[in-house]
Amino acid sequence: MNNRLGNGWGSRIDRNASMAFTFEGRPVTAHPGDTIASALAANGEWVLSRSFKYHRPRGVLTMAGQDANTLVQIGDEANVRADLREAAQGMAVTPLNVSGSLRRDRGRIIDRLGRFLPVGFYYRTFFGPGKNSWLKLWEPIIRASAGLGTVSLTPARRHYAKETRHCDLLVVGAGPAGLAAAITAAKAGADVILVEKEPELGGALTYARFDANAADAACKLAELRDKAAAAGITVLTGATCNGRFADNWMPVLQGDRLIRIRAAELVLATGAHEQPLIFRNNDLPGVMLSSAAQRLMRHYGVRPGQRAVVYAGDRDGYLAALDLDDAGVRIAAVVDPETEDRDGLSDVLIQRGLTVMRGCRITEAQGNRGGLHLKSVEIRDDNGTATSLDCDLLVVAGGYTPGYQLALHAGARLTSDDSGTRFSITGMPPHVHLAGAAAGLSDLGAVVASGEIAGTRAAAGLGLLPAQDLPAPVQARWRRAVPSQAHPKGRDFVDFDEDLQVKDIENAIADGYRELELIKRYSTVGMGPSQGRHAALATARIVARKTARSLAEVGITTSRPPFGPEKLGLLADTTPERYRHTALHAVHQAAGARMSPVGAWWRPLAYPGTAPMSDAIRREIRLVREAVGMLDVSTLGKLELRGKDAATFLDRIYTMAHARQPVGRVRYCLALNEMGSILDDGVAYRLAEDHFYVTATTGAVERLYAEMMLQKTLWGMEVDIQNVTAAFAAINLTGPHAREVLQRLPGSIDFTREGFAYLDGRSGELAGCPVRAMRIGFTGELSYELHLPQSHAPALWAALAQAGAEPYGLEASRMLRLEKGHIIIGQDTDALSTPDELDMGWALSRKKPFHVGKAATEQRRAMGRKRQLCGFVLPGGNDAGIGESSLVLSNGQPIGHVTSFGHSPTLGKWIGLAYAAPEDAKPGSQIRLRGFSATEIKAPVVALPFYDADNTRQEI
Amino acid sequence: MKIMTCPVNGPRNISEFQWLGPVHDTAEATDADLLNRLFFAPNPMGVLREWWRHTPSNTVFIAERDLTTDEILRSYLKGSDADRTASPA
Amino acid sequence: MPLELLKYGLRRGHKPFHDIPPTPDLRRSYDVVIIGGGGHGLAAAYYLSRYHGITNVAVLEKGYLAGGNTARNTTTVRSNYLTIPSIEFYREGVSLFENMSHELGFNVMFSQRGQLTLAHSDGAMRSFRLRAEMGKHAGTRIEVVDARGVQKICPHVNMDFGGQHEVLGGLWHADGGTARHDAVAWGYAKRAAENGVQIHQRTEVTGFGVSGDRVTEVRTNRGTIQAGQVLQAAGGMNGRIAEMAGIRLPIRCFPLQAMVTQPLKPFLDILLSSSDLHTYLVQSSRGEIVIGGGTDPYQLASTRSTLPQKEALATGALQLMPFLHNVKLLRQWAGITDITPDFSPIMGASPLQNYWLDAGWGTWGFKATGVAGKRMAETVATARVPDILRPFALDRFSRFELLNEMGATAAGH
Repeated sequence: MNNRLGNGWGSRIDRNASMAFTFEGRPVTAHPGDTIASALAANGEWVLSRSFKYHRPRGVLTMAGQDANTLVQIGDEANVRADLREAAQGMAVTPLNVSGSLRRDRGRIIDRLGRFLPVGFYYRTFFGPGKNSWLKLWEPIIRASAGLGTVSLTPARRHYAKETRHCDLLVVGAGPAGLAAAITAAKAGADVILVEKEPELGGALTYARFDANAADAACKLAELRDKAAAAGITVLTGATCNGRFADNWMPVLQGDRLIRIRAAELVLATGAHEQPLIFRNNDLPGVMLSSAAQRLMRHYGVRPGQRAVVYAGDRDGYLAALDLDDAGVRIAAVVDPETEDRDGLSDVLIQRGLTVMRGCRITEAQGNRGGLHLKSVEIRDDNGTATSLDCDLLVVAGGYTPGYQLALHAGARLTSDDSGTRFSITGMPPHVHLAGAAAGLSDLGAVVASGEIAGTRAAAGLGLLPAQDLPAPVQARWRRAVPSQAHPKGRDFVDFDEDLQVKDIENAIADGYRELELIKRYSTVGMGPSQGRHAALATARIVARKTARSLAEVGITTSRPPFGPEKLGLLADTTPERYRHTALHAVHQAAGARMSPVGAWWRPLAYPGTAPMSDAIRREIRLVREAVGMLDVSTLGKLELRGKDAATFLDRIYTMAHARQPVGRVRYCLALNEMGSILDDGVAYRLAEDHFYVTATTGAVERLYAEMMLQKTLWGMEVDIQNVTAAFAAINLTGPHAREVLQRLPGSIDFTREGFAYLDGRSGELAGCPVRAMRIGFTGELSYELHLPQSHAPALWAALAQAGAEPYGLEASRMLRLEKGHIIIGQDTDALSTPDELDMGWALSRKKPFHVGKAATEQRRAMGRKRQLCGFVLPGGNDAGIGESSLVLSNGQPIGHVTSFGHSPTLGKWIGLAYAAPEDAKPGSQIRLRGFSATEIKAPVVALPFYDADNTRQEI
Repeated sequence: MKIMTCPVNGPRNISEFQWLGPVHDTAEATDADLLNRLFFAPNPMGVLREWWRHTPSNTVFIAERDLTTDEILRSYLKGSDADRTASPA
Repeated sequence: MPLELLKYGLRRGHKPFHDIPPTPDLRRSYDVVIIGGGGHGLAAAYYLSRYHGITNVAVLEKGYLAGGNTARNTTTVRSNYLTIPSIEFYREGVSLFENMSHELGFNVMFSQRGQLTLAHSDGAMRSFRLRAEMGKHAGTRIEVVDARGVQKICPHVNMDFGGQHEVLGGLWHADGGTARHDAVAWGYAKRAAENGVQIHQRTEVTGFGVSGDRVTEVRTNRGTIQAGQVLQAAGGMNGRIAEMAGIRLPIRCFPLQAMVTQPLKPFLDILLSSSDLHTYLVQSSRGEIVIGGGTDPYQLASTRSTLPQKEALATGALQLMPFLHNVKLLRQWAGITDITPDFSPIMGASPLQNYWLDAGWGTWGFKATGVAGKRMAETVATARVPDILRPFALDRFSRFELLNEMGATAAGH
């Protein structure tokens, strides 16, 4: 069947070209500009999918993507709105909720079983007979029927883009009101962006009829488009503004692009949503909104039916009837619920020879065999007398609700009059203006005028027009929406997405769910993809009626972003988070390092080359203990503090004393939080009286830096703090031969034992690189930490290698430090660890009146410690499977856990650190450990460090 | 995204800022009010004076913000005229 | 088809189930007044009336029933915590969920499909091992799995992230699951009401009468009532309510945002989360993918939603499952969480003798609905805090005996 109208209809299609796609495997031809739904309709296919619950055939309702009836699957994309998506050559479209074929869906049996499935039925049953019956028996059955489209696990890649724009004024909606607002503000000098979700400007002017004379709208459309083109407005068509966030931060979706627009002023000309009517079988294909019929005809040149009944709940019904008549659709009758002629339009229809039935309602639609399409309509007058009219099209003009969503995101409210038939938006925040149909206006002149007022006020808000003598803001008017009644036999759908009928809402109320939000949750009304755009109002009315309250008391609806569907791909950041590379990254890779992300950085774990990792780690440990190794420690946090209060400041931030730390000396730093828990550690090298260079752990430096900035401001201290973590690289050179390596290199620093003592710091040149050298280390061997501008790092690394140093990795470093009993913040400590628990009381200066955490430390000390970090060795091998996080037990209960553990090749033993009960944590005592295999063993506690107890090796 | 006005750099996206918590009456905790300060942070259904940091420029300042509406009433540097006229937290 | 539905369908007309009675007039006095008609308050009312013979109980709810965080959370039920007191408490919570539908005769759809938390770093693996060891000790089903194990449990997970955030392993918590949040609250409400408990919706507490160390009366927008005992379980409003009673709680409010996609045919059976990415995913019985993460970065008591958080959640979701890029978001929402300094709840006594606290649930209160209700009912009925609740006492802060859970709560809820 060919349903195309003749030339003069179908502004969006190109009749000179054709293409083909498939629907359920059947070939469909389309013109460029067609949507999937319009192309199918042109080919006589009105059923698009089956409904979610009852598997009822569903077709075009709004032609505006406002409902779930038109959701289809296109290849790997689920839940595509067939009435919005442009048809494309070769696409494979399949309907939803179908088992078998769309026309002979096996699931349609469920429609017959509806009486056995009351609202909320799944709460009543499906959990017996056994304890686990829901999970094992019932849920799998219900889950099998859940969901709409199917996710592809291997979809084609898409390129999504994000951009940010700024403008003086963003106008949402390019109907007559939005165009007028944009033109007015642009003329006043505003930088305006106009966003329109349709592919062209004009809104309702492109499809609707505003008067008996259809030409008026066309003239106005041409005029507004010309003016807009001349006004220098940035226009985004096919772009949906999907939400309004604080300070007019507006996400706009255009294809695969998310445009985030910051607008100083905002005009919402978002139009109105035509509402469906409730009657029996109101979901039959062939029943559609008046705007949908008009869109089909004017945009796509598709004849919506052969013989129509038009329900004129408002003026637009009459106007749609005129359009249908113009298009050659036979009109069986125009049905008007009112007895009076409100709009003066019925005479025009009667003159054309059309039948107008006054004081009548639609009570039922009947379908053909299989319920695949409308066959006839039952109409009742006020006396209850029924008439049946054959038709294949029922056009419903049931009134509107304003396009409230963005306004509600902005904090406005949707309100109604007492009778609950008229709606309005109130309480708009500053810098947001309402215009056109969204403000309840329908007369074209008034709509345009409201746009001009909104544009003028926005321009004044921008200071482009004088603030005096402004027109009053557009007064939101009431917009009519026709109430409708339940049908005693049901199938009178309130919510098409969720297949909910009037009785479902009424029964939910009877079950005790009297508040709108409870009804929503209990019945799922409004929870589907159309987000209650059609159901919210009807539901609120039923609730008001059934609970004898006003709509105002019941409330109508709320709205949250997003307005329409938005793909996760659009929202996600396209650049994945990346780990940082040190300046030596390439050098490590070239040396055969095994790299791994650690914290925020890529770090070399070891340099195995082709050898097994474990061998490499053992070799590197021996390298450090017996010769000399070098480790890239560029990942250390690094802070530079300058100013007359620098030392005093450090004294307050850290627990040790820095005020009298000599220039050229390095001191350990321990930072606590206000609760007295360990926050971070590092070293401070005093470069000058008023200048310190401080290191921090890589994970904590950002937090520490922010904390320092806050404290500096709080204390009003004169100290300049810079986070130079990224600017400096650092190399730890360690091992008994470290000094010899350094002395082989040219430079200005005296590396002799006498000239550069333990905990000394020296600045100068080394192998042509400017360095800050500190004689400190984690390994217990003779160690130098060499800090230098990161661009010099590869050169120094190469020079050190040349002079005899070999690289070692993080795994060896971890064991080397464990052998020395050094802790790693964040691994051996947690959010509650105190210095006392770590036997680090020595790091707390007793003389200072204040440091962060001092008061708490003293209070906590007075309460005694509940655990203690201690060193232990396994008496033999590790058959029990002890590892980091193994539990430490006391009286059978976990008292702590192993924080660090490993096999020390130096000592030939398994060693570790663990939290234990304080009484067990003394050398000579034993702790009970539980291995991962649940075997428990006793391990002797030993004094720390495990290796080189007198710390002689670092002093050589 | 919300806009926060940095007293030095002007209005910027709030993603450029780090929230640093409430402004206390005193710079240091005393023994007496230690527990309050550590654990009983203010949580008013109204305006809170709080520390913020503009991270790109490293500016630490005070903002007054309504915790029920997220409205930022004003922002200023410590010790500025605005700070001196601020009501105590 | 189950017999109940057959019987229903063969009957003429709808015989109402009367789950929630209409709000009655306030009595002059109640033995127990429960402030907050969310899951916790309703559960406490149920256990008081069912197991302690206390039926002269009023539940006061300022809005509609269970409309706060009960309605806004993402329904995770789990017990994979880090400390023994927490694990034991939540383990009891999980076991109550396992029998809840039968206990209430109301299907709460507890679906124990297991929760898999991914580790992308050494540190996360270490922390998971500790949680597993603690959990096993306390008798929960939990284990650490390696990367191959992750793939076996959830073949859809993107394992290497293009070289970024490579999945090293995970924590598999077979006890974890979801339940239908509304149904939990309604089920408790229904049975509590049947036992004589009065549920008062749209009834807002405006103040208290306090005499000495006792609360004597509760003032509401609908009148003043006398109260023998008062239990406050007011979710995001806990700080404010306690303040009215002259009690200061260590609570700050932060919004927690979540979002949900359009319904899709089920493909994800388990709860999937990543602590490093601050993201979790679960597919509901309706087929929607629920996506959540951490709380907002600053203190606020508003349920507004933000674009940056939505973008962050989408980023995390697509890192875990890149094939979801075509999937469309349906809704975004927020709840107000009441966060304590140690990210653990406050339960038990208050400075007032007859005023009991159930507060500080932050982002994880739903999973404790049953156990908090049961144990708080026991507390109120016996005027004695049971041992299982003692570690959660309000005065733990002044003793510096915080619960060491700071690492276990991020993005797990």
